[in-house]
Amino acid sequence: MFFARFFPPKFTANVVAVMLLVGLTAPCGVRAVGLPQSSASQADQAKEAWQKEFDAVRSKTQDAMTFSEDELTELIRRCDALLPQIEKLDESRRKVYLGRLAKCRGLYAYVLEAKKNEKK
Amino acid sequence: MNKKSFILLALILILCGLAPSQTGTKKKRPLPYEYGRVIIDNYSSKAELAPVVFEHWIHRSKFTCRVCHVDVGFAMKAGATNITSADNERGFYCGTCHNGKTVVDGKVVFQACSRKTAGDDLRRCERCHSFGLKVASEYDFFHFSQPLPKERFGNGLDWEKSEELGLIKPARVLEGVSPRGNSLAVQKDFVLNPKVEGMPDIIFSHKKHTVWNGCELCHPDIFMGVKRGTTKYTMVDISQGKACGACHTTVAFPLTDCQRCHTKPV
Amino acid sequence: MKRNERGLLLLMLVCGILFLVNAAKAQVYLPKAPPEPSEYGKVILDTYSAAGPGGVVFDHWLHRSMFTCRVCHVDVGFAMQAKATGIRASTNREGFHCGACHDGKKLYEGKPIFPACSDAVSGSDKQCDRCHSLGKKGVRKYEYKDFVAKLPKDMYGVNWQVAEQSGAIKPLDFVEGISVKKPAMKSREDFFVKSGYSWVHPIAFSHEKHVIWNGCELCHPEIFPTAQKGTTHYSMFYNIEGRYCGACHGKVAFPLNYCRGCHGNGPLWAP
Repeated sequence: MFFARFFPPKFTANVVAVMLLVGLTAPCGVRAVGLPQSSASQADQAKEAWQKEFDAVRSKTQDAMTFSEDELTELIRRCDALLPQIEKLDESRRKVYLGRLAKCRGLYAYVLEAKKNEKK
Repeated sequence: MNKKSFILLALILILCGLAPSQTGTKKKRPLPYEYGRVIIDNYSSKAELAPVVFEHWIHRSKFTCRVCHVDVGFAMKAGATNITSADNERGFYCGTCHNGKTVVDGKVVFQACSRKTAGDDLRRCERCHSFGLKVASEYDFFHFSQPLPKERFGNGLDWEKSEELGLIKPARVLEGVSPRGNSLAVQKDFVLNPKVEGMPDIIFSHKKHTVWNGCELCHPDIFMGVKRGTTKYTMVDISQGKACGACHTTVAFPLTDCQRCHTKPV
Repeated sequence: MKRNERGLLLLMLVCGILFLVNAAKAQVYLPKAPPEPSEYGKVILDTYSAAGPGGVVFDHWLHRSMFTCRVCHVDVGFAMQAKATGIRASTNREGFHCGACHDGKKLYEGKPIFPACSDAVSGSDKQCDRCHSLGKKGVRKYEYKDFVAKLPKDMYGVNWQVAEQSGAIKPLDFVEGISVKKPAMKSREDFFVKSGYSWVHPIAFSHEKHVIWNGCELCHPEIFPTAQKGTTHYSMFYNIEGRYCGACHGKVAFPLNYCRGCHGNGPLWAP
């Protein structure tokens, strides 16, 4: 690849892997809120995107008990995917969003474990 | 004797000399308007302001527990949230509503912690930073609690019935903060058997709790066990703030009211 | 001796003294002799009132003939140690603490109970001295000797348990506006508490006798945290300190000197 000429192979491999992963999992995320709307700049769009994703994931906690194990696993993965974005925020925002994420992810993990337990 | 045993013996003697313990006595009971009071002093004293006195009763009549403890993100122990004035000014924690713009019950909520203060503004600071100060409260507990059904202990009010009867309407969603959720999938009530003979069984009602808390407030932070009956909670654990005691010691109704939980007719 | 060792020895000496002092303070081997029956159960409250209207003298004998322990210590919410409740004139006026009944409106035997710390009363109607009577003579309405004349007595004063059983007193367990009606809970059976010393008679503890006065919440879970029977050791030393049984049976119920009251009527020395 043209890209691979300028970057070490391992980095390239990672980028390709990420692109594939995103591409493959995007359809699974369709069940949630739709794509973010385009507004001013690209940076703003990106910011809005993750915040909307965050709200979308959080909005489902009320129905956690009705989801299947796969759906719960997916929701947990989405929570984990938001972590890098949140880590980049300023102190106040990071503190608050981390707390909210922990509560939401914790619940999904809890319900997943409960469902797995029920099967036994 | 060698040095090590000297030190050990000395330590033991120190501990014997200094160890008071006060189980087996009845402590002072907070008055109805004092129950649920939280003193927060992570940074206030260092900033030469009186520590913050947060009263639960005024807030819980307007918002569910979930809105503050899950959506906004307050911790469940005094001082654990680590709120700074910067957080408030940026519109987080207290500043989520206390921003001089949000309207609750037709009134604009006063701003918390602003960098610029002038003239009479100190009185605004003292509305929260009031520990040890004689500050006239804007809301009077007596007038507030008059129309509400009474109960024993705690605030002396039956919060659950008040909400059921619609005498208070705690908001479940905070615009811009709470995610938009669907209606609640209700869990079934179940029975907990106490180990002490003679104590009636506890009928735990998920419905009564989720009205105020949603799911994430309790699971998994307070109640980790996934299989009902595997985790045993003793009354001693609960009185130390674990499990049910996270709320039912200092904020919801206190543990002294045995029959509010131990309700199954014998 | 080397300096280090000398320092350590000094530290040990200090700690040893501390230990002995605490031991002497806490480990009193016998309970002190109780005061005169008329003084027994007297609580002096003068944290805030000493400077102004004078200290408050609260006599248990007057109130316990009219109300169960539960009404005041559970429903109203008084603490069980002098000055621990935090009573102020303002809390009384707000209808808490003494003001829960002493509000000028609640009736006892058809007559309104005089208000505590009231601004509305003035001049000769002021009844401050009825409570703020520390050091004052002739200001109280009820005097011990006359009040308890007809009640059954024992060696330490009035035998309240017999008084209640015989109907000589009818303490109220419910006050309108303060108490909340609750379904009755089954009282647990009486049981024996063995002493740590073989020569001391075991205690026959009767829940029934205690529940009449206290209900459940007065003792549980603050004074007696729930635990498996036999796991918590209630030593006499704790009782003398005012903990556990001593929370009441020190200064208010019958004194700890009355061994028979708990350790049964048989010879104190078990065979």
